[in-house]
Amino acid sequence: MKIENGRSRAYKIASVMILIILAFLFTFPLYWIVTGAFKNGADINAPKPIWVPTEWVMNNFNKLMKQRSVPLWEIYLPFGSFFNGGKKILLTAGPDAPAAIRWLINAVLMSAMAMLLTCLTAAMAGYALAKKRFNGRALLFSLIVCAMALPKQVILIPLLKEMSALHLYDSLWAVIFPTVGWPFGVFLMKQFSESIPGEILEAARIDGSSEWNTFSTVVMPMIKPGIGALAIFTFINCWNDYFMQLVMLASGSNYTMPLGIATLQAETSVDNGLLMAGAALAAAPIITVFLIFQKYFTQGITMGAVKG
Amino acid sequence: MKKLLAILLAMTMVMALVACGGNQSNDTPPAQDQTQDTPGDSAPADGGEITLWTYPIGDWGKEEKVKAITDAFTADTGITVKVEYLAYADGDDKVNSAITANAAPDLIMEGPERLVTNWGDKGYLVDLSDMFDDTDKSEINAAAMAACTHSNGAVYEYPLVVTAHCMAINLNAFKEAGADQYLDLEKHTWTTENFIKAVDALYAHFNAPVGAVYCKGQGGDQGTRALVNNLYGGTFATASHDKYTWDDPLNIKALEQLKSMPGIAFDASLEGGDEIKVFYQGILKMAFCWNIAQQLNPNLADTGAGLTANGEEIVFMGFPSESGTPALQGGIWGFGVFDNGDPAKVDNAKTFIKWMCDSEHTVDAVKTANYFAARSAAEGTDLSDIWADNEIMNEYQVLMPYLGDYYQVTKGWAGARTEWWTMLQKVGEGADIASTVATYAGNANANAG
Amino acid sequence: MARQPTRTMSRALQRRENISGYLFLLPSLIFFLGFVVVPMIICIITSLTDANMHDAGMFGNFIGFSNFSRLWSDETFLEALKNTFIIVIVSVPAVCAFSLWVSSAIYKLSGPVLSAFRCIFYLPVVTGSVAVTVVWKWMYDNYTGIFNHVLKGAGLIEQNINWTGDSRYALWCIILILFTTSVGQPIVLYVSALGNVDQTLVEAAEVDGATSFQVFWKVKWAQMMPTTLYILVITTINSFQCFALIQLLTKGGAGTNTVMYHIYWTAFKLTEQAGHFGYANAMGVVLAIFIGLLSALQFKLAKEK
Repeated sequence: MKIENGRSRAYKIASVMILIILAFLFTFPLYWIVTGAFKNGADINAPKPIWVPTEWVMNNFNKLMKQRSVPLWEIYLPFGSFFNGGKKILLTAGPDAPAAIRWLINAVLMSAMAMLLTCLTAAMAGYALAKKRFNGRALLFSLIVCAMALPKQVILIPLLKEMSALHLYDSLWAVIFPTVGWPFGVFLMKQFSESIPGEILEAARIDGSSEWNTFSTVVMPMIKPGIGALAIFTFINCWNDYFMQLVMLASGSNYTMPLGIATLQAETSVDNGLLMAGAALAAAPIITVFLIFQKYFTQGITMGAVKG
Repeated sequence: MKKLLAILLAMTMVMALVACGGNQSNDTPPAQDQTQDTPGDSAPADGGEITLWTYPIGDWGKEEKVKAITDAFTADTGITVKVEYLAYADGDDKVNSAITANAAPDLIMEGPERLVTNWGDKGYLVDLSDMFDDTDKSEINAAAMAACTHSNGAVYEYPLVVTAHCMAINLNAFKEAGADQYLDLEKHTWTTENFIKAVDALYAHFNAPVGAVYCKGQGGDQGTRALVNNLYGGTFATASHDKYTWDDPLNIKALEQLKSMPGIAFDASLEGGDEIKVFYQGILKMAFCWNIAQQLNPNLADTGAGLTANGEEIVFMGFPSESGTPALQGGIWGFGVFDNGDPAKVDNAKTFIKWMCDSEHTVDAVKTANYFAARSAAEGTDLSDIWADNEIMNEYQVLMPYLGDYYQVTKGWAGARTEWWTMLQKVGEGADIASTVATYAGNANANAG
Repeated sequence: MARQPTRTMSRALQRRENISGYLFLLPSLIFFLGFVVVPMIICIITSLTDANMHDAGMFGNFIGFSNFSRLWSDETFLEALKNTFIIVIVSVPAVCAFSLWVSSAIYKLSGPVLSAFRCIFYLPVVTGSVAVTVVWKWMYDNYTGIFNHVLKGAGLIEQNINWTGDSRYALWCIILILFTTSVGQPIVLYVSALGNVDQTLVEAAEVDGATSFQVFWKVKWAQMMPTTLYILVITTINSFQCFALIQLLTKGGAGTNTVMYHIYWTAFKLTEQAGHFGYANAMGVVLAIFIGLLSALQFKLAKEK
């Protein structure tokens, strides 16, 4: 018994040590981004890595802000291009501002929009798939499951032509719509909705509640944690969808932060300080969102899986 | 919950307005935009808008410099120019996806290998031959003019600037290793024999690779091509530009030589731009991806032109060759016009080209690029000595006579570049050189045919 | 898959279910069909043609299956296919095993410590793929990267290792980044699954004299099966999303080409090749078939458990 205890104690100590090392390794890239962003030119270009910046400077951020300038916002008439021979109708444009700020705004708008649309459509579809016994349900579900792992590169060319035909190329919608169409959200929400007891729905129906009322007053509150999880998921996914941004966005005023950073890397692979400043700006919003909603998120994703 | 849904919906609607609406092409008429046009007598009040996509050709990749010159153009003509900046790393893909989406720009600035051989050849560009009269033809550098002309007689690029690509060495490091004796600093040339001796001396001194045959991608590949070709006098393509000849035994000999030198690393983690960075950092002692724009560029640490990050002196050199007279790769850059089916835009684009490449403003356009003018004079302005006040530019002139064949217009160029760097990677990994070269050169020719 | 309700539904009821079901599905279906299914169908059709960028229309000439037969002799494609599978086959089990181990080591820790660990392992995900890749690229750097510096400092290597430029290491470097950005969610899931294991079963097994290994394998592992399957699914999905890593790190060189990347390359880089759109789409179809089979297999396993 004693030996057993000794061994398990040793194992425990070893595992704590490994965990601490791992924690260090997992946080290091972020540390390297943040310190890199504030290092001066000499530290950045030093042949040997400088672990802690010798001085903390804003130089890299200043350089980033001076790279390009684009209007802070541009508001177009929706669908205007259909009546104007393919040209957008500009309603109003903001003052010129550093492109990095516009890229941040674009990225947040894009991800938030994809998040809202996905949550709404997936919640409804997931509920229907879980609780409605309509014809073709099994077929549709198989289709969704098979399409879930499909990388977007597969449908790259048709999608690009489609966006062009819809006059959506070089707009954030071209990234948003395929994200909303990705069926993972539906799958997740179906898993959640499975747990809604049928009796409650039956009771609501007997009470004369309309289908939509049942969904919005009975179902929605029950799958709220799931929606929370899906929201954060979609936000992060859309933000990280570098590929679609690369293919669909052409003008500097429509870039997103991740795409902007990647472009800077392509142009000036020479300047790590500038890149780290960009990376820090690109990472800050999602890390903030994550830390705020962390509790909700943990709850949400766990519930979805355990019911899988 | 209802409230939440209502808010969601409301936000959706608002954002539908705020975020960008549909957009077929980038050409937005400046509806409420207070354009700063001060229309001249001849210019219409609203000259419309054109888009220009430019690769980083000297300072044509820097917004502040480009804005100055396009603003002047707008003030003159009333035509507004919307500029997008491409990178060599993914610029081609961007242009190709835009073409696929029917949203190509009106104007593009690059060299004949893309404008003539690729997009021009496939019929996306407008023939500019009506823009050249006899005076123009006599003023423009004949080699540049030839490269900008397609075999069908159409001219798809209006050349603005030319330069010769070269290499660079870290003079302090060479002196430290006692290798500066192998350099001809007067003529900026050296022989293959001296190059090998210098690399060996540097390696003996620093005990690490001092030069890198970078092969991560196509970026800056003119440097590796020129190095291999010059070393023993091999060729890359036939003089008639219809076939790749880089399986030439002389090139194989050069690759074998390079591979055998411990001071030269085949590095698949670097492209041209990365190599320059490592060279600036003083780690590599020579850079194969170099030209006058780099020489003039005050580098990142702001130590000034012609110096590394720690202030060591950079000297530009021709590529080493057996005779000591290198055949340098030329760079020819200018403008092409995409045919987007709108004659008004094409006219505006041509106005832009005329203004930039053949007027009294050409001096500024050329100086923005940091290269030499592609013509001797433009509408009476002499362009041959515009760099007279610049010592580095003046000195660089010594390399210009070494300009070799502009073979980048050989058919199937984009595919051939992929084959070239993939081949270098395989050679770097130790594959049999002769057979690897034969395979990849064969692929390039198969694609071209 | 649809379980038939025990009582047979009346026709009217079935119609009602159909209408309400599809109405609820409608918004989602518009996006799913419009931006996934329809492009996929176009992709399949185009894969049988010699379509390329220079055509005015969407499709070129019908050429049967010759794109596919060309694929089987295209060494670049076969290598890309091989690499794609190495990535999936290595990263999926590695992520599962690693996250299971981490979770079992941390799930009994006190609240704040546990949540700190969870956050830390989630950080790479929320840092964003581009930001993560850009910083790793610098860390891997042949000349100034910290890996070479540290390893050399510790005397483990003599010469700098060219991490992303050497085909012996490059693919593993990509898998490592993919790994750090994939373990966050599985850890969260396993921690809660371990917390939810029925303790009475564990105690009963211990009373019966089971070793801790047996308790883990026979009791806990069995109960966590649904979680594991879910993790398998999401990790597989994740493994196919490595485009940004490859584009920003190696551009498909040094033995890191994948089918996902090669499709992009063929479509927009090799535009001079005849019929390159059709060819790229054929690659897409092959990849989609493999992924479909993989998903079907996973869900079949899930049904059996």
